Amino acid sequence: MPEIKVTPLGAGQDVGRSCILVSIAGKNVMLDCGMHMGYNDDRRFPDFSYITQNGRLTDFLDCVIISHFHLDHCGALPYFSEMVGYDGPIYMTHPTKAICPILLEDYRKITVDKKGETNFFTSQMIKDCMKKVVAVHLHQTVQVDEELEIKAYYAGHVLGAAMFQIKVGCESVVYTGDYNMTPDRHLGAAWIDKCRPDLLITESTYATTIRDSKRCRERDFLKKVHETVERGGKVLIPVFALGRAQELCILLETFWERMNLKAPIYFSTGLTEKANHYYKLFITWTNQKIRKTFVQRNMFEFKHIKAFDRAFADNPGPMVVFATPGMLHAGQSLQIFRKWAGNEKNMVIMPGYCVQGTVGHKILSGQRKLEMEGRQILEVKMQVEYMSFSAHADAKGIMQLIRQAEPRNVLLVHGEAKKMEFLKQKIEQEFHVSCYMPANGETTTILTNPSIPVDISLGLLKRETAIGLLPDAKKPKLMHGTLIMKDNSFRLVSPEQALKELGLAEHQLRFTCRVHIQDPRKEHETVLRVYNHLKGQVFPFWGGGVLKDYSVQHLPDGSITVESILIQATAHSEDQGTKVLLVSWTYQDEELGSYLTALLKKGLPASTS
Amino acid sequence: MTRECSLLLPRVCAALADPRQPGSDDTCLEKLLDWFRTLTEFDPSVKLVQDNPCLAEFITSVLALPEPSPSILSFTLRLAGILAASESRFQHLQQEKLLVRLFGGDGPLSSALWEDASVRSGWVEGVHSMMHHQPALHFLCNGGGIDVIFALQGDPSLFVASAASRLLVHMLVLSVESETTKPLSAKDCDWPACAQTIIKHIEDSLQSSSASHVEQSLKLLTILFGSCRSTWTEVLWLGIAKQIESFAREKTVEVQHTLAKLLLNMAWSPVFCDSEGSFWALVTSALEHLTPVQAGPLAVGLLRLYECPQDVRIQALTVLLQPMDCILRAASQPLEYAGLLDESVSDPATVESLLSSKSSCAGLLCQTLTHLEELLSLIHLPLDLPYAPLLRSLMTLLQLCNGSLSPSSLLGSTISRILINSCRVQRSALDVLAALAERTGCDILTGSLFDVLLAYLESPNTSPTVLKKTFQATSKWLMRLQEVSCSNTELQQTEKILEDVFLVLQKRLCSPCWEVRDSSLEFLTVLIKCLSDQDEFRQSLLSSEVPRLMENLLEDPESYVRASAVTAVGHLAFIMYFAPEPPAVGNQYNKENTLAKLQEILSTDPEGFPRRAVISIFTKWLRQGCTGQLEDTERFVSRVIQTVEHDLDWEVRLGGLELVEVFCCQTVCQLGPPKCSYAPVSSAVTSSLHQNKSLQVFCRAKVFSFLFRSLCDCDKPVGQRACNTLLVLRGIFCPISTSKDSQEAGTSPAGPDIALLQRTLRQGSLAQNFPSEGGKGVNFEDPESVLLALGTVDLKELNDELNKCSDHVEKSPQSLLQDILATVGTIEENEADCY
Repeated sequence: MPEIKVTPLGAGQDVGRSCILVSIAGKNVMLDCGMHMGYNDDRRFPDFSYITQNGRLTDFLDCVIISHFHLDHCGALPYFSEMVGYDGPIYMTHPTKAICPILLEDYRKITVDKKGETNFFTSQMIKDCMKKVVAVHLHQTVQVDEELEIKAYYAGHVLGAAMFQIKVGCESVVYTGDYNMTPDRHLGAAWIDKCRPDLLITESTYATTIRDSKRCRERDFLKKVHETVERGGKVLIPVFALGRAQELCILLETFWERMNLKAPIYFSTGLTEKANHYYKLFITWTNQKIRKTFVQRNMFEFKHIKAFDRAFADNPGPMVVFATPGMLHAGQSLQIFRKWAGNEKNMVIMPGYCVQGTVGHKILSGQRKLEMEGRQILEVKMQVEYMSFSAHADAKGIMQLIRQAEPRNVLLVHGEAKKMEFLKQKIEQEFHVSCYMPANGETTTILTNPSIPVDISLGLLKRETAIGLLPDAKKPKLMHGTLIMKDNSFRLVSPEQALKELGLAEHQLRFTCRVHIQDPRKEHETVLRVYNHLKGQVFPFWGGGVLKDYSVQHLPDGSITVESILIQATAHSEDQGTKVLLVSWTYQDEELGSYLTALLKKGLPASTS
Repeated sequence: MTRECSLLLPRVCAALADPRQPGSDDTCLEKLLDWFRTLTEFDPSVKLVQDNPCLAEFITSVLALPEPSPSILSFTLRLAGILAASESRFQHLQQEKLLVRLFGGDGPLSSALWEDASVRSGWVEGVHSMMHHQPALHFLCNGGGIDVIFALQGDPSLFVASAASRLLVHMLVLSVESETTKPLSAKDCDWPACAQTIIKHIEDSLQSSSASHVEQSLKLLTILFGSCRSTWTEVLWLGIAKQIESFAREKTVEVQHTLAKLLLNMAWSPVFCDSEGSFWALVTSALEHLTPVQAGPLAVGLLRLYECPQDVRIQALTVLLQPMDCILRAASQPLEYAGLLDESVSDPATVESLLSSKSSCAGLLCQTLTHLEELLSLIHLPLDLPYAPLLRSLMTLLQLCNGSLSPSSLLGSTISRILINSCRVQRSALDVLAALAERTGCDILTGSLFDVLLAYLESPNTSPTVLKKTFQATSKWLMRLQEVSCSNTELQQTEKILEDVFLVLQKRLCSPCWEVRDSSLEFLTVLIKCLSDQDEFRQSLLSSEVPRLMENLLEDPESYVRASAVTAVGHLAFIMYFAPEPPAVGNQYNKENTLAKLQEILSTDPEGFPRRAVISIFTKWLRQGCTGQLEDTERFVSRVIQTVEHDLDWEVRLGGLELVEVFCCQTVCQLGPPKCSYAPVSSAVTSSLHQNKSLQVFCRAKVFSFLFRSLCDCDKPVGQRACNTLLVLRGIFCPISTSKDSQEAGTSPAGPDIALLQRTLRQGSLAQNFPSEGGKGVNFEDPESVLLALGTVDLKELNDELNKCSDHVEKSPQSLLQDILATVGTIEENEADCY
């Protein structure tokens, strides 16, 4: 029975770093190659040694697919391709290929800045890795090799995020990556056609949550920023260079325009222009509204948002600053935070997840006295707000996607075990499909029952129609022929054609059976009795018998033939009163041969003498 | 453990054991275990558990929970294991039967939570951690725990299964090495009880009809022989050798991969590789019977060994060369070329059938090629390889892949149909080709080799990744060609090849695909670096359109390409402008233009890569003493400093500091003391006149302003590098006594400007509006002020401060404990929200 095997090396019952191995019809694919930012040692990368156990990476894996540019989905890629040694094809969408190196570079800088972080990829490695990437368009079927094909679908979530369908023959798997089923300010909703995959591997971050509308969260965010600015405070928004930052920039830009606000908004790194450049370049990946208004005004050309200079941080009066990195663990955002933390009029808004150990994590968990470098204590008086803008499908969205794609099986990844368990039950109840949730390192095996297409040769079809009625498309029809597999496809042809195509010689297969008959007469007399008995089967006095369509002949050499069946009689070597009838027939006349043997075994009637 | 930590720990334990609290982040628990590992690693005493009774209390309370969360239970198992690693702490925990309750049959083992892989993994890891003394060994063996581990070898989780195998090996070694009273021998083999159980299990599994059981045992033996080199392993081996030999003969496909690994690990062990006869006979038999795909890794591993019988080596090499031999024979006319192998050595039928099958052909070839590349990378090859036939087979393979060779034989045409356009095979073959350039013995084929390479360089069907590898191989072989060309005919041939290469490059530099443009530029840079002293190369390059196209790419829309163009153009300048006798080039090329373009990129390019490339090229030029030909070096450095000091990319600023370092070194060498050294120079030998001259140069070039400003950079590496340079300069310009005296006196002789500077530097990266010249700040263009600043500012202390890393915030156990405590009670949503 064909099977699909799935082994998560990351994202199995966790949200750390996505890396899922899929084996489908003899092909091995790695889905995402993420990094865990919570660790500073080898644990940040998936443990690839479990793949190398099967031999060389490049020989084992047929391709790597990256769903989107977030580091927990692509952060280990340069390590995997340039340090571990994978040299095969890597696929991602065009925007992901363009943006991925920016984030990798950003993270590399932060990482090597710290002491002792030597086992990390270099800029050159990031570039070399990116040069191996094959960029794909949405809905374009990409042939990885003759059997394996992949296709990208729009996933929302972030610019360029895609779900991928992986297909070998008629077996298929869909991997969603992270996706969002509701459109937001700059991106549309995820969409997939009714592709009925054997397996849908879906993220389940918000497996049990029905999220309030994103509009509410946006309103809340704007309200908080506005209030702080109104009372003369400064707002710090730590972000990563791309993604969330652009979304929030659009929000603030529109709000500032509408409210006619004058307080300056700054973006702290030189990456803004580049980031915005990509959002402009890949306008087709944004939502309809942005695309429509593009002609009059490009949403990513900001009037109110300007580049930040470090001297601005001490300027009096209100301002809003977007600064990197997003977890307040180094660089400019931390520097600004340290300056503004002491003033209760100010506010820091954390729009994303922070790993343990970072200042971001500490203030989010309510710590107000922080020990900084040089053992100085920093007292945090400014307001600290957490706002989740992450764009994942909630429970309703996940169900909606399943309804859309109609998979035969579902496998949950990228979520917490408890929540997955709940969703799993819900999916099984509602859709009557099996749902799996393997932990990291656990292999789930799914049996598939693929329908295999078979071509029928024209000759065979013509012959069949010549014999019987024209085929009715609605009714199944039994056909006889020889099934041949050539160049990985199946064809039903006539036996003669099969022999010809395969260059094989025909062999005759004859079955032989000995029937013992009690008959003291001479052999030729016994043969005559048998002949008469068989003739009687052809023309019994009451009409046509069982053998009526066959010709029974008595040959001069003393043998009898019924079609291809040959009957000869010999005397038994030890007992002259017993005659041995040698019945032999070809494979084609198997039925007739069996019938005659059974008939003769019953003995000869007395009247045939 | 610090006092602060021991005060926090009880609260943390209580919080973790409280089922009402949301689960702690997994990374926190992992880091907590890391901390306990460091605490217990060098201290076997019972003090830790005695001083912190909360640890045992924590274990007790988790055990009392009706339904602990799997992650907390797994954490508890692992924590208990770490604590029980010393005998005294083991006994301490056993007093309350904590270990029995955790690891015994009535513990998590028999609960529903055992279904959770993390719990099973925690159990195995916990046992492994404690397994350092006999009581632990007996505790597990007597309590039936060993059967659990045997079962876990076949766990559905890869992580658990492999951890179980490692644990069994660890226990076997511990048992034999701690419980054996007399040396073990084949005749008198009295294994200790625990070892006996494990060995019996291995033997039984090897005889099992289940392939997975056999494989588990082979894996276990692989780990054992790979990690333990004691003589008793041979005694163990003697008991199972027959069985393993039968696997090697029987062609049991399921276990072949593991078997090859096992034999390789044994070959590395002095216990087996020194043995006469039987082991090597087994290896020989395996090389013969394993499929070529499985025998390949074994063969290459054997060829890397120092100690290996020559006949085994020859056989191993045969395994590796056979597919290539097959390619050569399939594609050429009989007797046309000598093959790679003497046909009588081995039967090619198996390899031929693998190569003529679509599903195995490319895989076998790629694996073979990788092994050959690995072999060629060895400095000392144990055997001579037939380089010329190998090269011919590679060329044949590459020709089959691009369809330029259509063999007439049935096998040849089948292989060519399979291989056509196979990027995987092309890439691997080109890698070997590049490696082969380092070896002598195949120079007679270079003419036809370049035909093959040029065909790849020219063909529009060559994929960008294959093209990159072709460039790498071409550059290696061009270098080789230059080395061996002596006669006129050879030189003419080289010239012709170079012309063809540059002709192809003209097209490639205009490719719509940025990867191709970038690889072409990288290729050019390599060529210029290595071949610039060759006349033929310089002439061919400069007479082609390539230099113009390279300059055009300085304005490429893709930043990676711009950066590569900067590097290539920067290196081209060495032959075009800075050579002792610059060649006559067209009017369109002049160094002022190139310099202006690069400076423009440095000041205006919106992306970091090209700017980083420019600063690195400028430093290279300066180091080679070329900048003087452009303009006054002082003015050049000054201009660069002013451009980079406000750069948003810290690596560009860091590059600027490197340039300044080179400049300082060169200036001091020229004007200052005779020895160019960054070591402090004693005042006695320093000529004050020279000192002043270089000081004046640095002041005019705004070096000090840049260095002092960089001390407050928000990116630490920049501050650190600037501080190092300033310390060196202080050593040169300020006699040690000056700064010491001023510090000892406790009063600063400096005015308010220096005081302001000191205050600013104390603020470090938080400082804004660095005091600028002309205002209240120090005038860094005035040598006297600079000398005073250098002497007054305590750069040593500043250096210490900058070198202090922020790790204690992120990595200290106290910070971790505080974070865990603070997280308790915060909204759960934060945890799930990753992006």
